[in-house]
Amino acid sequence: MSGAALVIAPTRRAGPGLGFMLGVAILGLTLLVAVFGPSLVAADPLMQQITLRNTPPDALHWLGRDHLGRDVLARLVAGTRISLAAAFGATLLALGVGAGLGLIAEALGRWPALLVFGVFDMVRAMPSILLALTLMVALGIGMGPLVLALGIAFAPHMAVVARAAWRREAASGYVAAARVMGASPVATLFRHVVPNIAGALVTQAAIIMPRAITTESVLSFFGLGVAPETPSWGRMIAGATRFAEAAPHAVAAPVVALCVVTLGFALVGDRLRLALDPLREQRR
Amino acid sequence: MTLPLALLRQLVLLAAITVAVFLLIRIMPGDVVDSLALEGSLDEEAVTALRADLGLDADVPTQFRIWAGRAIQGDLGMSLRFNRPVAEMVTASLPTTLRLSALALGFGLVLGIGLATAAALWPRWLLPAAVEALNLWSIALPTFCVGLAAILLFSVWLHWLPVIGQSLAPVVILGIDIAGQIAKPLHEDLKEAATASHIRTARAKGLSPARIVLRHLLPNALTTVVALSGLILAGLIGGALTMEVLFGLPGLGTLAYQGISGRDYPVIQAVVLVFAIGVVAVNGLTDLAQRALDPRLRR
Repeated sequence: MSGAALVIAPTRRAGPGLGFMLGVAILGLTLLVAVFGPSLVAADPLMQQITLRNTPPDALHWLGRDHLGRDVLARLVAGTRISLAAAFGATLLALGVGAGLGLIAEALGRWPALLVFGVFDMVRAMPSILLALTLMVALGIGMGPLVLALGIAFAPHMAVVARAAWRREAASGYVAAARVMGASPVATLFRHVVPNIAGALVTQAAIIMPRAITTESVLSFFGLGVAPETPSWGRMIAGATRFAEAAPHAVAAPVVALCVVTLGFALVGDRLRLALDPLREQRR
Repeated sequence: MTLPLALLRQLVLLAAITVAVFLLIRIMPGDVVDSLALEGSLDEEAVTALRADLGLDADVPTQFRIWAGRAIQGDLGMSLRFNRPVAEMVTASLPTTLRLSALALGFGLVLGIGLATAAALWPRWLLPAAVEALNLWSIALPTFCVGLAAILLFSVWLHWLPVIGQSLAPVVILGIDIAGQIAKPLHEDLKEAATASHIRTARAKGLSPARIVLRHLLPNALTTVVALSGLILAGLIGGALTMEVLFGLPGLGTLAYQGISGRDYPVIQAVVLVFAIGVVAVNGLTDLAQRALDPRLRR
């Protein structure tokens, strides 16, 4: 007890840390796999060889085969593209609906803002996994409904960040100057404010993106998400879990991929927050 | 926001969710009965009977009135697959979910608050790094993944213990996730509060650091934990959905899983409604607790 003291820990050092570099490497590699991977892997991710089901990894099939005898590596690579595309689409939709609608409403004045954020704040009270699940039940399975459900589920989280950033900017001189010069609120918003708050939005996108990837997996696990035969990471996990005893490699591959990518986003996102959105740090 | 207004908003949220949940089985092209009939499990007579039973033969406002009236009386309809009242299935599943959530919450709070406090007391030790590591853990590793990894590791590869069917692993996994989410903000709060003048006074009059933290710092920092309750709750609901199914616990998550895979819409409706009521209740309580803990909010 005697050695204990209440000391303020030193503030974090600036500059890219080891974690950030690792995160960038992970995400860069994942992106490369998503773009070029499917054309580099010879095996067909959809081809079933039922006699070879659950065979462990060997020299030709590095990650083995799953419960339907499909090549796990080929599916993992094809799934990288699908899972990333779904999450990216959902994040873009969340950005458009959440930040777009939220900012325009804020720019237009008190009543539109009250109306739009009344809805957003209400929806935000629901956990996004529950929202996405409910929406998917109503919309049915498939890539389109998946992106729509995830986008809507995450839009309120984007809207709240956009509103906080807008309020910070709206109090500053250049917004008042633009108003005095007679610029319309929406023109001011897109020409002057959006470039200034882009950092905050990108940071939030980096938080939403991995959550969208994970949510896709959970939805697939529940039999929702993309169509059952489509090789997304979530569908791979959902299909292989029942055969975990016989083919643990078929579960482990997508689970490890999912963990590594969310870790990559977490490492990069943490640094992005400090670099792109310094004001948020100061406000604390 | 004043208290009545804040509570009113929670009620509006609940009403909106109720309508949304009601519309859930009516938004689809055709209706539930059609999609069930397509699977070939219903004959002509059963289709008409089921449609009447679900109230799908009336117009939408009438349907809603009947459905909501029944729901308020605790009648959530019959399961399409199990031929049991849905309310009965929900009450049978609820204890498992509540027990899992309570245990995970308890473990998470003890670990998170304990670690943050210890890190504030002994900042030169490894403890602040442990707070950071735990935080990164819960950001980077979704409980869904950790759960799957735990099954692979302990059940499939190590054959240590029957992981399936008992709640130790889910409680630990969810608890660590909660601890990681609260430890960092709490630690930062404690560090910041440590520079406040009443703490300086307490130190100047010779109180021990442990006493300062326990008596003067922690009570104030508790508002941080309460403010994070929405995040914690989201984690617990997501956890119930995934952990229960992964580890074979017969709770609401498993019920939702059965409902979705069997296209048992009354069951899905009921589970979503129960979770929504839970969210609204917790939000309302959070609001009350924040006002009780922080007099500044009462103005």
